[in-house]
Amino acid sequence: MMTKLAPSPFLSIRGLRKSYGSLEALRGINLDLAPGEFLCLFGPNGAGKSTLLKIIATLLRPSSGKIRILDDDLENNPQEYRARLGMVSHQSFVYQDLTLLENLEFYAALYGVKDPRQRSLELLEQVNLADHYEMLAGNLSRGMQQRLTIARALLNDPELLLLDEPYTGLDEHAARVLRGQLQWLHDQQRTIIMVTHNLRRGMEAATRMGILVRGKLVYLQQKENIDPASFEELYFQKLEAV
Amino acid sequence: MSSLRQILFLLGKDLRIELRKKESLISMAFFGALILVILNIAAGIGKQVDADTGAGILWVAIIFSAVLGLGRVFAREKENGCVAALLISPISPGEIFIAKALVNFSLMLLSQLVLVPVFYVLFGSHFNADPLALVPILLLLNLGFSTTGTLVSAISAGTRRNEVLLPILLFPLILPLTALAVKATAGALATRPFSERLEQLEPMLAFCLIFSAAGYLLFPFAIRED
Amino acid sequence: MTPLNRATFLPALATLLVPLAIGMIFFYAPLEKSMGIIQKIFYFHLSLAGAAFLSFFIACVSGIMYLLKRQRIWDARLAASIEIGVVLTTLVLISGSLWGRPIWNTWWTWDPRLTTSLILWFIFASGLILRSAIDEESKRATFCAVMAIIGFVDVPIVFLSARLWRSIHPTVIRSAGIGLESSMLVTLVVSMVAMLVFCAALFHLRCIQHQQESTVRDLQQQLQL
Repeated sequence: MMTKLAPSPFLSIRGLRKSYGSLEALRGINLDLAPGEFLCLFGPNGAGKSTLLKIIATLLRPSSGKIRILDDDLENNPQEYRARLGMVSHQSFVYQDLTLLENLEFYAALYGVKDPRQRSLELLEQVNLADHYEMLAGNLSRGMQQRLTIARALLNDPELLLLDEPYTGLDEHAARVLRGQLQWLHDQQRTIIMVTHNLRRGMEAATRMGILVRGKLVYLQQKENIDPASFEELYFQKLEAV
Repeated sequence: MSSLRQILFLLGKDLRIELRKKESLISMAFFGALILVILNIAAGIGKQVDADTGAGILWVAIIFSAVLGLGRVFAREKENGCVAALLISPISPGEIFIAKALVNFSLMLLSQLVLVPVFYVLFGSHFNADPLALVPILLLLNLGFSTTGTLVSAISAGTRRNEVLLPILLFPLILPLTALAVKATAGALATRPFSERLEQLEPMLAFCLIFSAAGYLLFPFAIRED
Repeated sequence: MTPLNRATFLPALATLLVPLAIGMIFFYAPLEKSMGIIQKIFYFHLSLAGAAFLSFFIACVSGIMYLLKRQRIWDARLAASIEIGVVLTTLVLISGSLWGRPIWNTWWTWDPRLTTSLILWFIFASGLILRSAIDEESKRATFCAVMAIIGFVDVPIVFLSARLWRSIHPTVIRSAGIGLESSMLVTLVVSMVAMLVFCAALFHLRCIQHQQESTVRDLQQQLQL
């Protein structure tokens, strides 16, 4: 299902800066991700987490710096680059007035998936929404909508999945479902970057933790090297240090 | 992957939603007909309007009703952040522009299928002009209005005052096009020869070409966040 | 020249040139035979119109430069030129109207040039309204740049169609001077230069103001963080 492991980093970010006037939202981010890594970025509001994710997703232009997924440069090859991406944000990205199947079929067609209907049904099955395929997306509950959103993001079988505060607005049950799905995605060796300010949720899913404060990556560590019990303490230390 | 196919998918998606909800079409046709009636009252009930006034009345109704549909096209994409989903898909902003302009074009054409007959019923008893003579004028104006309108509505939908800003930004830009359309229509209603109308139709075509090109080039800036 | 110097130099020059132009208009240029004293408006009117058109051109260029470079300075120039352009166009319309009243016996006529000025006023004034409707800085700059470019693209079309759609209307007395007396021509040139220097000074001050405004906003935000 996945492309074979590449020796070079899967995603590489070099010297990434984003400024608005004299305000710097991102101040030189360097980051390499190996294939299959699950990075969770924490940080307070306004630290630049969403900005970073939006730049990786090509929604914002960096002021300077480079991003590559394997060989596809964001500047020279935006179409190829985007074809490898999937994104889940706290917005659902689905059309209220289309049915679940129509929504997925539309996006699948945009991504040039071979058999859009087949692929859409397959994904609805995977997120347990197959029985509701004829429902209008606007009539879904919040949790179901989130599952649809995840299915949507997976249509093009993305190699890099970006999650922007996916837990926002979810009740405990829906959050549990999401947690399960993230585990499943991770098991499938997808490279994942998640942005959240929910430490507990982030800890349970990710393999690598990063802390972003004031546009700088002040901490980056594999999870096995982190003591989960003291991570919260560490997090607040890092915040105050800046 | 052909971009033509992606444009058609996007167009098909919008038309499907529209045919399902019919919210834009119904309000466009209804509001347009309402304006025709209001202008009939303004012109004096029971008075016959001449070709010049009639042409003006028709176009005021069409332009005002078209703005209603235009505002919805991007508002719908903004609802669940779908614009972002389109922007991170392989489709290019230029293709989104073409698809959205085509959606607006179709909506205007469909609403005119109602408005033009209503116009003839209310005002046209003494115009013995062939309604088909209006077709080239309608098509050109629709084209110019949809391309300019798609660009401007992307801008106004990016602000918090979409409904108010859209006509304020759009109408001054398309004033010349509308004025030419009014004059050409007056010629058609008064059954003047077609060759005389070319004098308006040619600059209208030029307007459409210039604004399609400008819209295509500027749209990526209008739709992105930064 | 350092910015501070230029900020004082241009206004200083304008305070010399503008009174000079006014003096020349009233005491040097001869009284026009058929129109009399009212013809004096023409010197202002034409200078205003020239400067207004130039402002919109600068707005368009600044818009293009902003979209290419994304630098604040171009947004400041864009904003300043639109503001000045709108003010100047307003004055063009008023002075034209004052002139038209005794000459054409009407405040307003749909002469192609008047119509063009009016539509231009609407286009760029709508740009100002757009500016006031967006808080986010980079978005505001981008949107205004797009509107300034598309508005300027519209100018030739507006002029062309204004000529076409009112083909049956009384021939306007040619305003621009074929057969202007040489003293009138000199006066015209001096008033135009005075107006341009004055507008350049205004433009420069306004740019500085805009930049200071964004600097203040930055500082404010940094304090809040």
